[in-house]
Amino acid sequence: MAFEAEALPHLDTVYRVALRLSGNEAQAEDLVQETMLKAFRSWHQYEPGTNVRAWLLTILRHSFINEYRKARRQAAEVDVHRVEGFTVFEHVQEADPEGRFFDQIVDDEVLRAIDRLPDEFRETLVLSDVEDLSYAEIAKVTEVPVGTVKSRLFRARQALQRELYDYAVEMGYIERREE
Amino acid sequence: MKDGPRGIDCVEALDRLYEYIDGELTPVRAEEVRLHLEKCAPCLRVSQFEKAYLRFLEARTRAKEAPEGLRKRVLEQLLFDSDGKPDS
Repeated sequence: MAFEAEALPHLDTVYRVALRLSGNEAQAEDLVQETMLKAFRSWHQYEPGTNVRAWLLTILRHSFINEYRKARRQAAEVDVHRVEGFTVFEHVQEADPEGRFFDQIVDDEVLRAIDRLPDEFRETLVLSDVEDLSYAEIAKVTEVPVGTVKSRLFRARQALQRELYDYAVEMGYIERREE
Repeated sequence: MKDGPRGIDCVEALDRLYEYIDGELTPVRAEEVRLHLEKCAPCLRVSQFEKAYLRFLEARTRAKEAPEGLRKRVLEQLLFDSDGKPDS
């Protein structure tokens, strides 16, 4: 099967992941071009019938780590361990058990919060919750065991939820529960 | 011993909740969580809340598509590359 027909339909995915990895649009575009060219040139190494999306994302991730990661501006990082023993649900279960306050938070704010996650947690969350990869696919792309994917995803989701909850409280979308 | 679904407590059910929502459990393990949620209202509410959160995340982050200019540049790059020298 031709490269164009197999790989190009995944361009949006490659771009979105590149954008979250690099944190800026110009670099994301460079990363995408580089990834697609590398993939095109090594197309003979791709095994037909295997997961082309995971294969492209693996190439993307290597390019990012080798050439771009150092340049990524360090935003204030979310502490993924801060959530130990804290669940947002416990705090909102009386006021808003269905999490309606989430709906008031706009796209850009969510993306900014994702961008503040540490690298390995951000990439895991993006691959799972934005691009819908399975744990096994994420394990393959990020080169860690499935158990690690599971625990990173848990922490990333909970930490991000906490960030968004704090933001919603700050914006007055929901009242902070009295301790 | 047959490895059918067995009763699990809240701790175990919540521990597996994300894997359950993500469809990552084996049928037997998933069935255990489902049976627990069926009879445990507090855990069911947590589960509904987390599902709503994940739906919200996806809705807020998936909209972005690759810019049209980028798509064009990628295509041109491939065309040019196949005209030029192959894999070095």
